[in-house]
Amino acid sequence: MIIADTLLQGILMGLLFALVALGLTVIFGVMDIVNFAHGEFLMIGMYTVYWTSLLLGVDPLLVLPASAIVGVLLGLASYYWLIKYLLRGPAIAQLLGTFGLMLFLRYLVMFLFGIDYRIIQKGLLVGKSLAIGPFIFDWTKLAAAMLSLIAFAFVYYFLHKTKIGKGLRATAVNREAASYMGIRTDRMNALAWAIGGGTAGVAGGLLVNFYYAFPTVGLLFVMIAFACVALGGFGSIKGAFFAGLLVGVIEMLFPIFGSLIGSSFLGPHFKFTVVYLTYFIIVVFRPQGLFGWKH
Amino acid sequence: MKGKRLFLYLVVFLSVLMLTPMLFAAEKDIKIGVLYPLSGSLAGIGRDLQRAAELTVDIVNNKTPGVDIPMAQWGGIPSLGGAKIKLIFADHRGEPDRGADLAKRLILDDKVVGLMGAYNSAVTKTVSAVAERYGIPLINDSSTSPDLTNRGFKWFWRTTPHDDYFNKDLFELLKGLTEGKVKGVKAIPKNELKNLAYVCENTEWGSSVAKSIEGFAKEYGFATSKGMLYNANSPDLTSEAKALLAAKPDAMLFASYLSDSLLMIRTLKGMKAHTKFFWGQDAGFEMADFAKTLGTDIDGVLTRTVFIATLTKVKKVAGQVNGLYKQKYGDDLTGATARAVVGVQTWAYVLNKAASTDPKAIQKACNEINIPASDLVMPWAGVKFDATGQNILGRGLIGQYQKTKEGTIDLEIVYPFEFATANFIYPFPGWD
Repeated sequence: MIIADTLLQGILMGLLFALVALGLTVIFGVMDIVNFAHGEFLMIGMYTVYWTSLLLGVDPLLVLPASAIVGVLLGLASYYWLIKYLLRGPAIAQLLGTFGLMLFLRYLVMFLFGIDYRIIQKGLLVGKSLAIGPFIFDWTKLAAAMLSLIAFAFVYYFLHKTKIGKGLRATAVNREAASYMGIRTDRMNALAWAIGGGTAGVAGGLLVNFYYAFPTVGLLFVMIAFACVALGGFGSIKGAFFAGLLVGVIEMLFPIFGSLIGSSFLGPHFKFTVVYLTYFIIVVFRPQGLFGWKH
Repeated sequence: MKGKRLFLYLVVFLSVLMLTPMLFAAEKDIKIGVLYPLSGSLAGIGRDLQRAAELTVDIVNNKTPGVDIPMAQWGGIPSLGGAKIKLIFADHRGEPDRGADLAKRLILDDKVVGLMGAYNSAVTKTVSAVAERYGIPLINDSSTSPDLTNRGFKWFWRTTPHDDYFNKDLFELLKGLTEGKVKGVKAIPKNELKNLAYVCENTEWGSSVAKSIEGFAKEYGFATSKGMLYNANSPDLTSEAKALLAAKPDAMLFASYLSDSLLMIRTLKGMKAHTKFFWGQDAGFEMADFAKTLGTDIDGVLTRTVFIATLTKVKKVAGQVNGLYKQKYGDDLTGATARAVVGVQTWAYVLNKAASTDPKAIQKACNEINIPASDLVMPWAGVKFDATGQNILGRGLIGQYQKTKEGTIDLEIVYPFEFATANFIYPFPGWD
């Protein structure tokens, strides 16, 4: 019973991790660039919802589109004002470039908003729990999971059923061939960044309802996102989804598992060790991740 | 060619001109390196500590009316010709290796005469090892892991009492509850308060608190039904909270920093947790932000502390310094910030006693220093170090957050029993 409860909690958190991983995997799939600043997009999404909800006095869930818009704009700005120029250089420049962007955004926010921890205090669902039978769920986490799922479905539909989306996937598979088909690579790159920024922003906007916004929060979640993306396969959306769920479940289940078998050595302090260990094992035996394709 | 040579001579001349003042000017400032976590997850605490230290050094360096202790009238260190103390702050972000690097830089490049810090016991451990190697005095103001004074170091002194003192206080309170010694509560039968569970963050500090609790539990006859260490920077504490509740303990004991304590309480509230006794080992639990963020949700929560704002009513100098701090920064002093005050104060007294910035003279002064109780903002018997460098005149308090009639939250003293300022709330109200 406690296992079922933990499993469900793990799936809730996992859906959020999956959303964060989604943006990262789309950017990598289309451009072969690892976006180190992805966590900062998440962090800015958190601050957006926090400040907008506070200053306008509106419920944080209603302000969510704001974090999506800010995320998209941030992604586009990053592409047109930085990444586009980095593409001319060697791969190492691209890697270091996004790393530099990460530092810039992180310390810009620290400068503007200070190092205090901020979390949504007032809202329709804040502090409320839903009890279904023996299971108690935090309403904000439940809402975050459901909205993550919707966001995921939205992006999936966009990429698979619309013409632009198909163009993006074509560019991801083979950039040259796609450009011969008349698909503008430049536009597709920008779109990938827009999706990346937008999904990270939305994930942040959902997260700030039950976790703290502070300038360095991005690092925490981007590490999990990297593990998810590598686990699921770089560039695979389905992979990001299932890897996110897997990581969420492992992260929740492991401490309980430790206490169930009566071991105090296997405690919550090892939960991320297990997550990264799983990633390590899968990458060793199946380098393309669960759903990635062999390059 | 001639023009180039002339230019070169000019550059060399100007450089020498710029450097000479530095060579001939007397060192009027006494530099002390202060290591605090100024960014990262403990940044809020670090910033408050920095403010308290700066306020105190201002009081030392400038004649400050309205603070009735001799130190406030010094205007610099008297025995060193009125030389002013200059604090050089370094941000270790909570990382022990970074702390060690910064300590080395402060000692070798900035040529500090001594160090203070570093709040996190894990960082103090490495910083003090560097100080020991270079023979530079380190006065530790707020790291409470008992191990720090058990290493036989000759260049390490600690003004704050450590966790073994504080955990003993905790068990004296638990014992007092079963014996009817606590104000406002009739004696609780022993079997009602038998099972303890502890949840501690997993660095040097939390793990030593855990060890200490295990030891005292055995000594006082309590059972630890569950003991957990967790990562303070974890994005989610749901599974830890679940494991805790599954053990159904009579008392929940925590050692958490700020963000994890906030997250833990929110998580437990979401799960409608209930228990009889809810206690935190200072740190996160006694920061101003803790009460500000959680408000009336913490009614009944206990915290070990060393300083409570209500003390300002009974100790004049505490009220005066607190007044200055509150006027400048808007918050009352807390256990951590009040200890930063004592740390800088101790440095001032030690330098005055040593009448020199030579490390050996400072070392001798530290070993012999005796600061009277009346000069401190703390309710301590004074500052006097034993052979291990531990201040033996300090003491802790246990406070309980209680809802006031106006709907705000106040911290009342519940231990020592003779200082109690309010009736103890038992059992813990919880969040059902």
